[in-house]
Amino acid sequence: MRRRGLGLNGLSFGFLFLLWFGATGFGFWKPLTDPLFLPSPVSVARTFVDLLVNGYQGKALGFHVMMSLFRFGVAFGVCIVLAIPLGLLMGMWETVKSLVDPPIEIIRPIPKLALLPLLIIWFGIGELAKVLVIVLAIFPIMSISTMQAVRNVSKRKVQAAYSLGASNRIVFLRVLLPASLPGIFTGIRVSIGIGVTMLVGAEMIATSNGIAWMALAASDFLLSNVVLVGVGIMALMGFILDQVARAFENRFVHWSGKEG
Amino acid sequence: MTLTATDLHSVLRRQTAKVAVNGVSKRFGDGQNAVVALDHVDLAIGANEFFCLVGPSGCGKTTMLNILAGYDDPTDGTVLMNGKPVQGPGPDRGVVFQQGALFTWMSVADNVAFGPRSMGKPKREARQIADHYINLVGLTGFADRYPYQLSGGMQQRVGIARALANSPELLLMDEPFAALDVQTRELLQREIKRIWKETRKTIFWITHSIEEALFLATSIAVMTARPGRIKAAFEARFVMAEDHRVTVTAEFANAKRQVLDLLWEETVAAQKQEDPA
Repeated sequence: MRRRGLGLNGLSFGFLFLLWFGATGFGFWKPLTDPLFLPSPVSVARTFVDLLVNGYQGKALGFHVMMSLFRFGVAFGVCIVLAIPLGLLMGMWETVKSLVDPPIEIIRPIPKLALLPLLIIWFGIGELAKVLVIVLAIFPIMSISTMQAVRNVSKRKVQAAYSLGASNRIVFLRVLLPASLPGIFTGIRVSIGIGVTMLVGAEMIATSNGIAWMALAASDFLLSNVVLVGVGIMALMGFILDQVARAFENRFVHWSGKEG
Repeated sequence: MTLTATDLHSVLRRQTAKVAVNGVSKRFGDGQNAVVALDHVDLAIGANEFFCLVGPSGCGKTTMLNILAGYDDPTDGTVLMNGKPVQGPGPDRGVVFQQGALFTWMSVADNVAFGPRSMGKPKREARQIADHYINLVGLTGFADRYPYQLSGGMQQRVGIARALANSPELLLMDEPFAALDVQTRELLQREIKRIWKETRKTIFWITHSIEEALFLATSIAVMTARPGRIKAAFEARFVMAEDHRVTVTAEFANAKRQVLDLLWEETVAAQKQEDPA
């Protein structure tokens, strides 16, 4: 089943790639569109190598990637450290939920990009505003999914623990927390996708580095190749981060979704 | 071997019992929407007894168990164990649920050792206790598996071992075999009978199966449809029979008819409550 799935995945990728190749002519026929709209895979690869060797606007490609990862990483770390414990508290105590839920629910639907100018006025053009924009996007997701995970823990499991002599501390550490982990992981994985997407917003204004900035700046000069390399790298970042999260998930919640 | 009627309302009986339920009522909600789940229930469960509570679905059996376990408080009446009021859940009363109460993220050994660990036993000792009960319920060799790797019947064995591991004074079992297939259920009924004979635990057992109650119980109480009251109570001896084929004897059939006649009216009444049209 799994192998067959992988094979089909490869087929689907290969087909899209062929389509791209075909549209740009393989060098055998005239490209169907102007390279400005769709550069050929070969020229994008060349640009990638060129960026790798010469960097972009005076800084190495690796530096741009690291800056983006840094912004994402700090925001992600802050949310892991703050949003998940807050979500746990909200799930366990109605009082905390009543207090904290309204501000989170207000922030949740606001398009974070709309807040960016305000954040820059408040926190300046440094890294803080950029990190905050990502935090604002993923904090509600992590805290709310954690809260839901706690609230969905089977009452019977908690009751069973108390009947086995467990204290509140043990019930929390050995029952509520592990039972919530699958839901928490779902929140984390959704956050990774959104967080990487939010890099575009974070690096839109007042920056001169970062991979999303590279793509945005290149589009001003109609450098489609560079835009595509930037987009590709961001897609790869998102994919790899998700794979890492998935590996952790399989390691720590291998029992998820299987009742016993 | 026929059934002997007993009087659970007898004050003397309840005063000398290990567990006494005195006029317990439970009402959910207020005013017009209030539902009376239990209505002045008296129970007397003697030490070492295998006490079966039989009743139609929705009659308040589980509510009774929740109150005995301390998950719920009665609206009226008292519950005493060894003369002391029951307050909140505690390790002196082990509970086995129908399904879905195992700790899915722990191995079988860690599930069973959870009680002893929670009671402050060191890891190694808790593991020894766990191994003992894992063997007792016939799960030798499965200690390092996870619940999701086991069949439904084996999962219930884990639940029973886990509840036994703290050596509780009273075992509360909420239809533990109801979700199992017939063969597995019969097998586990024989197992629990053996375990009861070996440990002589006091057991409070909920079931809607008359046959199961007759096969296992030393005492049977029949409940009415909602609001749950005790309709009749009996002493039974079939559990003492060594031969499991006791269930196909004439006495067993007679006893079954006796209880069935009582329960049938209640089953019909319960059905009407569920489907008033």
